[in-house]
Amino acid sequence: MSQHNRVISKEEEALYDRQIRLWGMEAQSRLRNCSILFVGVKTVTLEACKNLVLGGIGRLSIYDPQPITKLDLETQYYFNESHIGQPKDKVLAEKLAVLNPLVDISAVSSLDDIAGVDLVVSIGRQTMGEWRRKGVKSILADAFGLFGYIFVDCLDSHEYIEEGRVKDPKTGESEVVRSSKVATYKSFEESVKAKVAGGNALRLARKYSPLVFVCQALATMDERVQADSKLAVSQFIKDSLEQRELPQGFVGDELLERVQASWGTEFVPSAAVVGGTLAQEVLKIITLKDMPANNWFTYDGLVSEGIACTL
Amino acid sequence: MRTTEQLTKIFGPEAASRVSNARLLVVGAGGIGCELLKDLSMAGFQHIEAVDLDTIDLSNLNRQFLFQRRHIKRAKAEVAIQAISDFNPGMDVKARQANIKESAVFDVDWFAQFDLVLNALDNLDARRHVNTMCLAAHVPLIESGTAGYLGQVTVIVGGVTECFECHPKPVERKTYPICTIRSTPSAPIHCIVWAKNYLFAQLFGESGESEDMSSAEAEEENMEELKQLQEESKALAKLADAMGSPDFARVVFEKVFADDIARLLSMTEMWQHRQLPTPLSYDELEAEIRPDFDPKSPGTHSALSLADSFALFKYTADQLAQRLLKETSAPETRGSLVFDKDDEDALNFVAATASLRSHVFGIEQTSIFETKAMAGNIIPAIATTNAVVAGMMVTQAVMVVSEQLPKCHTAYVSYNSKRSRSVLSEPLAKPNLLCAVCRRRYLTLRVADLGRTTLGDVVDYLHMLAETENNLFLGEDISVVEGSRILYDLDFEDNMAKTLEELDLGRGKMITIAREDLNYSDDELEMLPVAATVPVVLSIAGPRAQDGEQALDIDIEGFGSIPEFAPLPPRSVDAAPGGDDAEEDHLVFVEDDVAVVVGDSDDEVEEIGHTEHVDALSDDLSKRRLSDICDANCVKRRAVETGSGSADGGSEDVC
Repeated sequence: MSQHNRVISKEEEALYDRQIRLWGMEAQSRLRNCSILFVGVKTVTLEACKNLVLGGIGRLSIYDPQPITKLDLETQYYFNESHIGQPKDKVLAEKLAVLNPLVDISAVSSLDDIAGVDLVVSIGRQTMGEWRRKGVKSILADAFGLFGYIFVDCLDSHEYIEEGRVKDPKTGESEVVRSSKVATYKSFEESVKAKVAGGNALRLARKYSPLVFVCQALATMDERVQADSKLAVSQFIKDSLEQRELPQGFVGDELLERVQASWGTEFVPSAAVVGGTLAQEVLKIITLKDMPANNWFTYDGLVSEGIACTL
Repeated sequence: MRTTEQLTKIFGPEAASRVSNARLLVVGAGGIGCELLKDLSMAGFQHIEAVDLDTIDLSNLNRQFLFQRRHIKRAKAEVAIQAISDFNPGMDVKARQANIKESAVFDVDWFAQFDLVLNALDNLDARRHVNTMCLAAHVPLIESGTAGYLGQVTVIVGGVTECFECHPKPVERKTYPICTIRSTPSAPIHCIVWAKNYLFAQLFGESGESEDMSSAEAEEENMEELKQLQEESKALAKLADAMGSPDFARVVFEKVFADDIARLLSMTEMWQHRQLPTPLSYDELEAEIRPDFDPKSPGTHSALSLADSFALFKYTADQLAQRLLKETSAPETRGSLVFDKDDEDALNFVAATASLRSHVFGIEQTSIFETKAMAGNIIPAIATTNAVVAGMMVTQAVMVVSEQLPKCHTAYVSYNSKRSRSVLSEPLAKPNLLCAVCRRRYLTLRVADLGRTTLGDVVDYLHMLAETENNLFLGEDISVVEGSRILYDLDFEDNMAKTLEELDLGRGKMITIAREDLNYSDDELEMLPVAATVPVVLSIAGPRAQDGEQALDIDIEGFGSIPEFAPLPPRSVDAAPGGDDAEEDHLVFVEDDVAVVVGDSDDEVEEIGHTEHVDALSDDLSKRRLSDICDANCVKRRAVETGSGSADGGSEDVC
């Protein structure tokens, strides 16, 4: 945890009252003392950061020196015409600061010094190997059109508390029982190379949604292909899926077509769902309450399905 | 104005055009509302009206992100609409700080101007009301709710999908037996309810019978006891007159914590199997007040000691008394207070007196923090769940306005279940064939002059319709009902000559017309069209403005909007879910209604909460997905094998 050992003040108690009633004072205190770095500003970044700033994290750092474009204005609501050409991270930091003056928010000029950062969230750009090497927990996420994904790497050992309700069969009263658990997470490299148990579509469907393989492919796509035509992207996905040796027809054409239509676009409602889920995973990681998704989450906004699995 | 190229890419130009032209009503500008308004405006919706009665409070700011500290105490609807206008200038938006339940203002005509209504509410009552208005105005409704980590979205289209009342919702607020509250409490909540609904209400609330007494009459079998309780209530109310005097706190204390307890002790049978209560002494406790106790900032997270509770009681009783006295000088016209959990003195008064009472009865004490949640019916709330729910609502909104209802569904947000799905959906359900709210033919009754048209005129008009293409198939034997009062039936014609105004049937009211002769056998029923079995609801409205033409005295409109109703199931089948059983559900259920509850009436309530329902659904979805994939692949394989596009073929399922 970072050095700021701030105690929850009376003002914060009043401000965070409704959420303290949900996750408790200790969790709020951990939030208050954490430092999160977001790399890459897209609509989903706005959404997740908004939620975390409202929730009262200690420090938020944002890195994305890219200039704001006209297309960004369609969905990145904190930006307007006057911001075109300005760096995304600086403008976003200014706008988010208004939401909660108690949070320390700034744009950072390089990714070299991440001292004190508890968690790095990469949006749409794959820098996962770097964070693991530095021993920092990280998340890779993106939201495009009606879809989105979240990949979580909490390193080799993530200790957390799980709360469950246990009913006493004699008295009938239920009681909250807390148990301490440890989870192990794969690296991104391991995950994309993971051999998927062969066999038929039926067996595979019990464990995985077809969308997770498509998202994995997209997550491994480097910037050159990303910037290329939609056709090139589609081809890349198809090639990746073939390499995975998935059963015939497991990833349907209809899904691929819809993903292709969504790729390269943003839709605020879906970004809000993915951003909300992403923020909630960050909260789990920081507060050490409940197991963060281990390790993929994918969202299909057309059918409102958000599914987690382990790959 | 922001462009919407991407919206067009994702949904197509037709849908994008529908989105930008759609007229939307958003009811509620709080937790879900702020997120919803932002998503709607950024998804291309241009015409939005937001209605919310509430003002902004500090505790809202952890999630209602359109508001900042400088907006505290301002109207939510206004600030929210201003904020989204700032994000996206040039929109056609409107804010109303008002109560949506005011049906004289927000009548059927008003609702009918919208293409879609979205609820972002926090109470069952308003939801029921909006549900009915949307059915009456024939406008689709997207309903939502969140509580903590859980959330839900659904789409309601009258006659096509389930409506909000097709299945009974859990009892909103648990009521406790009067004797438990007034005589034999055994849990902290009983003390809190006593402090808030009895003590606070009698002393500082509006004069008149406190709410617990009217239900007491129905419950209390012991007439003696009932009389005693009524006497006590009256005596307490009288004590409120002592508010000006320095003795106020003392007389109140001695009555409720000494005298009334002494009386209870005299009823020895009551205490045969219970711990005896201990009356408290004012003077003793006064001597024990800690000098360093600051009643302006009592510790909120630990239980109050007896001495501290006493000190806090004294302080807050005086504070509240001073406040009421300031409002007026004459005791007869003293002001009154409604309990507000954010009113520190009121909350601390309730907490202190509840705590004193727990000491009397040997019940564990709760901290002020915990008391606030129980007294104020607080639902924990966070930004993330609201963001997810609102996002899902807007995707569905796009589908609804672009006439893609088959793509709509009910969606759930769950948390931390052992299942893999945290967001999941199920198809929209068909209406309950016996729903008392949506199995209705909703029409609009336009009356030029409510002071002239009589009930008889309306009945005659309905009979006249039988001769026309708008035959309502009502027959001669009908009843006319408004709310819980019967206005007319064959045996009761007293009101026929009275005007609608005299009968208090003004704009916004609804009257239900039903056939009273439906005791036919199934065979005879079959001769009637299905519509005949569906009661008619007339929403009373003003005349339509006609250019140059005199408004008709009476006109009934809306025949084209009546949906098709499925025939009723045969009489022998038990179709109706018991609405009355809701009374039996002993459930502490606070304002939001995400949970689905089934009550085992007698002892333990089996709460099939949101989580269990969602888990069961998740299981079901996994099975369904398997069969989808299985079937799809099997079909493909067969098609490939037979070389044809069709799915038939004799090959065995390979999977």
